[in-house]
Amino acid sequence: MSYQPIKEKLARRETVILDGAIGTEILRREVTWADHQLMSRPEFVRTIHADYINAGAEVISTNSFQLCRRALFNHFRDETHRRHIGAGDLDTRANTLLAQSVKLAVEAREQTKAKQPVAVAAAVTTLEWCFRPDLAPSDAQARTEYGEIFQVVKDAGADLVLLETVNSIHEAATALEVAKEIGLPFWISFVPTEKGKLFTGETLKDAAAAMEKDGADAILLNCAPPDDISAGMKQLARLTKLPIGTYAHIGRFDPPEWLFSEEYPPSKYTEESARWKKMGATILGGCCGTTPEHIRQLNALR
Amino acid sequence: MAYNVIHEKLKAGKVVVLDGPMNTELVRRGIRWRKHGLLTDTVAVEQLHREYLNAGADVIRTNTFQLNRLTYLNVFRSREHQAHIGAPGLADLVPQLLKTAMRLIRQARIKAMKSDSVAIAGVLSPMQHCFRPDLAPTEEVARREHAFMARIFKEEKADLLIADSMNTIREAKGALAAGRAAGLPVWVSFVLGPEGELLSREPLADAVKAMKRGGADAVLVCNAPPEDMSRTVPRLKAMTHLPCGGCAHIGKFSPPSWKFDFFPQFLETESWPPERYAGEARKWITGGATIVGGDCGTGPAHIAALRVAASAGAAAAGGR
Repeated sequence: MSYQPIKEKLARRETVILDGAIGTEILRREVTWADHQLMSRPEFVRTIHADYINAGAEVISTNSFQLCRRALFNHFRDETHRRHIGAGDLDTRANTLLAQSVKLAVEAREQTKAKQPVAVAAAVTTLEWCFRPDLAPSDAQARTEYGEIFQVVKDAGADLVLLETVNSIHEAATALEVAKEIGLPFWISFVPTEKGKLFTGETLKDAAAAMEKDGADAILLNCAPPDDISAGMKQLARLTKLPIGTYAHIGRFDPPEWLFSEEYPPSKYTEESARWKKMGATILGGCCGTTPEHIRQLNALR
Repeated sequence: MAYNVIHEKLKAGKVVVLDGPMNTELVRRGIRWRKHGLLTDTVAVEQLHREYLNAGADVIRTNTFQLNRLTYLNVFRSREHQAHIGAPGLADLVPQLLKTAMRLIRQARIKAMKSDSVAIAGVLSPMQHCFRPDLAPTEEVARREHAFMARIFKEEKADLLIADSMNTIREAKGALAAGRAAGLPVWVSFVLGPEGELLSREPLADAVKAMKRGGADAVLVCNAPPEDMSRTVPRLKAMTHLPCGGCAHIGKFSPPSWKFDFFPQFLETESWPPERYAGEARKWITGGATIVGGDCGTGPAHIAALRVAASAGAAAAGGR
């Protein structure tokens, strides 16, 4: 499989269905997601991917939210401290898990025998916490770390990178450059504020221009409530010729977990998505709180 | 009331046994780690307190390690963002959780019929990740946030406070001042860095001096492997006449595969069964420790073994 069928659909301006949440879906199924369940319960993770494929998703994203070496290392003062009291496999654990997250998505695709072509997107997030641009590493450091992550997911068989919940232009641009060097199609997804800006205060206009100039394959918005997404989508359609799309979250962030609500049942989420489609979105899916049923009903918008 | 009992014991040179951890032990028991289990697993929390009481702990600690207002704010961009996409009531959640934690620990002590002999310590801990001294708040912020918690512990009838796993002198000073202002005895416990000083690399001697000056009732070291404690306790003892001691962690810290502040999981703890742990703790007692307990990875069986070692240590020192 490859990115090619998706690329062609987008070129024809046809709607592409992205999957829904995986992290919160793990929680909704009454399992803790503290370790992503990639090693402990691979069958469980594959089942969720399969449910999304069966619901009609054409792009499925790996179960790898905020999964990177830095996230693990951040729990220690420094390398000396980590070696002194940390688990022995921490140098390699993130990459092992990342590769496993791709493998499980690929296996789910093989086992599901879907009617539609399905691409596997490696879901990669900001290197530091997604809502905290103030913590972002230097561009030089980010380049090294994204290089490592993208190589791992490429080798594991990912068809594209979905860099999601991004909060600044410079981190997006750095990652994009690295993805191009490594040779992976690259979707960028920004988290918008209520006013349709990035969390740094940068504008979507500048973000879209930077992404288009450097060769991103699509620009999306995610990890915000539907109203915020609408505010951003309204602008985005006018700002770029690239395919655009979105996946909103529904419910509330209840750290470290998620509070599910009935505010956006699948039918209502589909109505919201129909508005985004009208605004120009051709990639539609769901973020935290959405379920396979939300994705199944999105098929009406194809 | 119950702190007097502890105070008298320490004054008489007897060894006081602290309990073990709540967090790693609850996770080991399969509790899904959200809000410290205080909304979902109250029975398990109270049960674990009771097991530490039955194991012979003289001082038991609330299940509130790394539970503070900043924990729930740091994962958002701002307060406004927290209100906008966060669960309703998140900004006011911490007082509710602290009260629940106090209610459960008091209930456990009543049911164990140890209200006169065992003291309840309200746990203050670093506002940011306990292993990240670089993120520690200013002394002013520390004092404000710890004062907020200390007042609640006082209202809820804690007998003392323990500023647990402090990683900088400035936050420890803030926590100590807040605790004193609330009118409670305060023990301060520092994370021991790999170099044998504070995790911030500030000298332990400076920390001890600052704690003496600030009016601490005891100084401890914690959150490092048992052998590190054995090397450090005699040094600590030489620095102060205050009661001192320590709690070691066992096994290896295994952080979560995504960010959430201190996720309590230690692996390979089998390498430190209770007898071995107590054997190492005997060295701390010989080295001058009069307060010994368990940190991440240990459990009730470790505390039971410590109880035996503590009593034997006291007998050897002529304390009983």
